[in-house]
Amino acid sequence: MKKKLMAALLAGMMALSVAACGGSDDAKDNGGDANNADGGDASGDDANAGTDAESGTDAEGGSEEGDAAGGGKLTVWAWDQTFNIKAMELAAEQYKKDHPDFELEVIEQSSDDCQTKLTTCANAGDYSTMPDIVLMQDNSYQKFLKSYPDAFTDLTDIGIKWEDFAALKQSYSMVDDKHFGVPYDNGVCAAFYRTDILKEAGYKIEDLTDITWSKFTEIAVDVHEKTGKYLLTSESTGGDIIMLMIQSCGANFVDEEGKAYITGNEVAAKCVELYADMIKKDAVKLVNNWDEYVKTVTDGEAAGIINGNWMNGTLVGIEDQKGLWQITTIPKVDDVETATNYANNGGSSWYITSNCQDVNLAKDFLLNTFGSSTEFYDTILPATSGIACYLPAGESQVYNEPVEFYGGQPIYSTLVEYSSHIPEFTKTPYHYEAREAVNTAIMQIVNGTAQEDALKEAQETLEFKMSE
Amino acid sequence: MSTKKNGMTLIQKQRIAGWTFLTPATLMIAVMSFYPMFRAFVISLQTGTGKNMRFADPIFNNYKRILADKVFQQSITNTFLYLLIQVPIMLLLAILLAQLLNNQQLRFKGFFRTCVFLPCATSLVSYALIFRSLFAQEGLINTILVKLHILNSGYNFLGNSLSAKIVIIIALVWRWTGYNMVFYLAGLQNIEYSVYEAAKIDGANGWKTFWRITVPLLKPTIIMTVITSINGTLQLFDESVNLTKGGPANTTITMSHYVYNTCFINVPNFGYASAMAFLIFIMVAVLALINLKVGDTRD
Repeated sequence: MKKKLMAALLAGMMALSVAACGGSDDAKDNGGDANNADGGDASGDDANAGTDAESGTDAEGGSEEGDAAGGGKLTVWAWDQTFNIKAMELAAEQYKKDHPDFELEVIEQSSDDCQTKLTTCANAGDYSTMPDIVLMQDNSYQKFLKSYPDAFTDLTDIGIKWEDFAALKQSYSMVDDKHFGVPYDNGVCAAFYRTDILKEAGYKIEDLTDITWSKFTEIAVDVHEKTGKYLLTSESTGGDIIMLMIQSCGANFVDEEGKAYITGNEVAAKCVELYADMIKKDAVKLVNNWDEYVKTVTDGEAAGIINGNWMNGTLVGIEDQKGLWQITTIPKVDDVETATNYANNGGSSWYITSNCQDVNLAKDFLLNTFGSSTEFYDTILPATSGIACYLPAGESQVYNEPVEFYGGQPIYSTLVEYSSHIPEFTKTPYHYEAREAVNTAIMQIVNGTAQEDALKEAQETLEFKMSE
Repeated sequence: MSTKKNGMTLIQKQRIAGWTFLTPATLMIAVMSFYPMFRAFVISLQTGTGKNMRFADPIFNNYKRILADKVFQQSITNTFLYLLIQVPIMLLLAILLAQLLNNQQLRFKGFFRTCVFLPCATSLVSYALIFRSLFAQEGLINTILVKLHILNSGYNFLGNSLSAKIVIIIALVWRWTGYNMVFYLAGLQNIEYSVYEAAKIDGANGWKTFWRITVPLLKPTIIMTVITSINGTLQLFDESVNLTKGGPANTTITMSHYVYNTCFINVPNFGYASAMAFLIFIMVAVLALINLKVGDTRD
């Protein structure tokens, strides 16, 4: 009997591998105490360079006190070689001109991996494996802040003129009046349309500018009937459309106190109704994952895309669709007083972790590149098509140049202009929970559940997840 | 006198040697498995987001929460559905394939065995991604069905909860049948061929031989594969994450996937996640125990 019990225990053991996540993860002693960092003289110990995330935090400490930080090495976690990583590398190049000893190592981590790793490090209470600077999704930051308040460095006094960034963008990385992130990747949304398909169906881009979602649905159904193409694609699990709809009204699925606010929320009900209606009328193509989402565009099945401007990076890669796309404002929610044609989705910002051994250097680096240099933003725009959140950059000549891919439309300055109109709304650490609950409700409504019941369940699910 | 000099008898020496060999493995299991299990249980009594953990009040609050968690309950239903449908199909197929490939007259045996076993050599993530693209709306399966005029346009297999579940089950059967077959093959080779010959002489047909000889003699192997399959299915993770993301509307999410979401996608709540993981552990242990009891014919 004893033997059998043991066998059963062993059989079940693997079940615990997940539970053991927060367990006994002995970190390597990397000796990178704060003391080492302000040692003053560069130890010249390059032996560890380039091995892993820890290398940057090792006792390389060539920092001089004060603002005149120069040598030393920083490690960065970021994703997307052609966009974020490229921009970071260009930033390092520019900074190197004035600080020849400066070194920067970017370690590629997908956005999801960044989050998983940060969670693991932080939950184990061992920050030593974190990089100096990390890129994080705007939608995730409030979650990390709530869970790991001491994992990031306060940047309020870094020397950036914060009014140079759009208020909404700043608010993603702020707690009370403190700034924790340097805004970078702009998440301003736009509607991208294929003008050739619109023309085939008898529409012009002007017909889709500053319209409402119900008008959009009407046109989308018509376009689909005439051409077989979809004006809108969305992921059925974790789709962003519903989030940008409600946020374009300056609202959210939480109230000002951060409590779940789905039932009794008229704006939410209206958004859900409009979106579910679109699905029922086959005005939107639902896909199951990001690959399929991108495929609808590359295959030419999508006549339109509504998402953050970073979709641009995907679009411009499709050579044979050059000159066919144009952008305009996104539709707005009907019958809601605060509704606008502007929203934000999925931008990101740079954060300095509390593991950073040379905070002065990291701050100085971010300040002189992402934080205040229009020259820098002028360099990265042509190289990465990355649109800044730094407002003065939008006035630069580079931003006003026509873009051939969009038939000569000067999309960069247009997008920067859009981003100044986005309404603010209450942020919540429970962004992903809310998105999932509401998307689940929408799928239920489409499958025949009454909207009221589905939303009630979503409210209960979200409340449950917010409780402890 | 000489035994006194060494201080132990021969038996004692052997015992010492035995323990010396056992110790490293025992220590490793204790440190790598039992300690984490114990820690997980302690964590499961705590609550709070991220690092702000404190002991729950009442102490079993996380376990009580499970009763109120509709998504987790849905994930239990989903997982047991996979278990009840997939495991029998898979084991039956495995045993039939093993029987076929154990045929003495069969040529290219090695080749066929390799073919059936090959799926097990693929990583869980990559095979899930391949199934995802096979069953995508413009994927191979849909293209074939449309070309054969069975469908007018691509069917969204992964976007419909019933078909998504079926796809996951098909994927699992494909991935794990060969693995179980190898065990049966090994078991079959331990059965004396003369037993079959005797049966033949007695006039038993293939069907009878299979049920009266093969299955009873394979029983220990069958019990073992049932336990590992239950264990594996209850912890199903990669397929749910990579094939369907648990969607549509959480209808394909598995327990482990939900536990993962609770830790890494949502606001991290490791206490609650550990409680759920512990519950999975108990489920596996109980099912394995029942299995052993049912399979035990010694008394």
